[in-house]
Amino acid sequence: MRRSAAAALFAKHLAPDDVVVCGLGSTRRAWSEVGAPQLTYNASDPMGTAPALALGLALACPDRRIVLLEGDGDLTMNLGVLVTIAGAAPANLRLAVFVNDRYETGGGQPLPNAGRVSYVTVAGGAGWPWTGEAHDEQQAERLMPALLDRPGLGLLALHVEPEASPYPADPGPTTQYEDRAIFQRRLLGER
Amino acid sequence: MSGAAAPGAQSAERIVRALVDAKVEIATSLPDSWLTPLIARIDAEPAIRHVRVAREDDGVGICAGASLGGKRAVLVCQNAGLLLSANALAGYAHNHQLGFVVLAVYRGSHEDRFYYQMYKGLVTEPVLRGLRLPYHVVDRPDQLAIVADAVSEARLVRAPVVVLLRRAALFGEAR
Repeated sequence: MRRSAAAALFAKHLAPDDVVVCGLGSTRRAWSEVGAPQLTYNASDPMGTAPALALGLALACPDRRIVLLEGDGDLTMNLGVLVTIAGAAPANLRLAVFVNDRYETGGGQPLPNAGRVSYVTVAGGAGWPWTGEAHDEQQAERLMPALLDRPGLGLLALHVEPEASPYPADPGPTTQYEDRAIFQRRLLGER
Repeated sequence: MSGAAAPGAQSAERIVRALVDAKVEIATSLPDSWLTPLIARIDAEPAIRHVRVAREDDGVGICAGASLGGKRAVLVCQNAGLLLSANALAGYAHNHQLGFVVLAVYRGSHEDRFYYQMYKGLVTEPVLRGLRLPYHVVDRPDQLAIVADAVSEARLVRAPVVVLLRRAALFGEAR
């Protein structure tokens, strides 16, 4: 499955008032290129902390479903956070990890123990009540309602193809803290 | 049967009352033996959602996310957690500009009795200055009003504000 196809599935299945948090790098760019309307916070950087940030946002906004789109490199940096999240168990948080076993933005270097890590096994062992794994678009399409519609925490691992995803040539018009202010104005203004 | 409060209970009560009065609704923690009364009191406080974390930088991220969502949050940990979380703290301070409070017990000073704690006392404040984070040192219980001020300061400065708590501030006397 291409990364863009996985991102498009979320654009198709998410509710209009869902809030998306993106980890850094290629997952973020894939979600951005889909052009979905959901309010989105791009959590880059610090690398490895997007799941914790999504948990904090979920606790702060219990009336909104928070969907974290995360790369395997970012998640591997702090697998212990799966234990923290399972312990807090907010019913409004979902995590999707795009798995291609590479640090895509950094140049395609392999992750440690690439190809032999099962994120659903790690999450299940950490106490996540629901996990799913999709190796192609059909499986992902079938699992998406289970991830999104069941009441409670869930993690879906989507295996995506290695595809070069270099840094953009231009840093864009706004800084992270300017984006943060814009996001907060939309999030809190909509309440 | 003694009617005296358990060691550390009075300071724990003052800190939690200050947090609640300052509208802190989310607390994250990773234990230290000197923090046991405070974390137990936080866990028993119905106005605060308490999240136990696997690493201190999980707590940093959770507090940042809570702040992003418009809530006030605090991380309770040892100063080793500040050292571990340096990148996360700097990133949320200077890249995202998200404010919250870190209450960190200050191990490794004249109050300590362990070789392995001492390096933390040597490097904590220089690291915080290097990260350009606001911080305050609380030496005694009568200085705990700074906790409420730190919540306000974090909101105004849009950065994590660190409160370093000496043992005497938590237990009423130096050991």
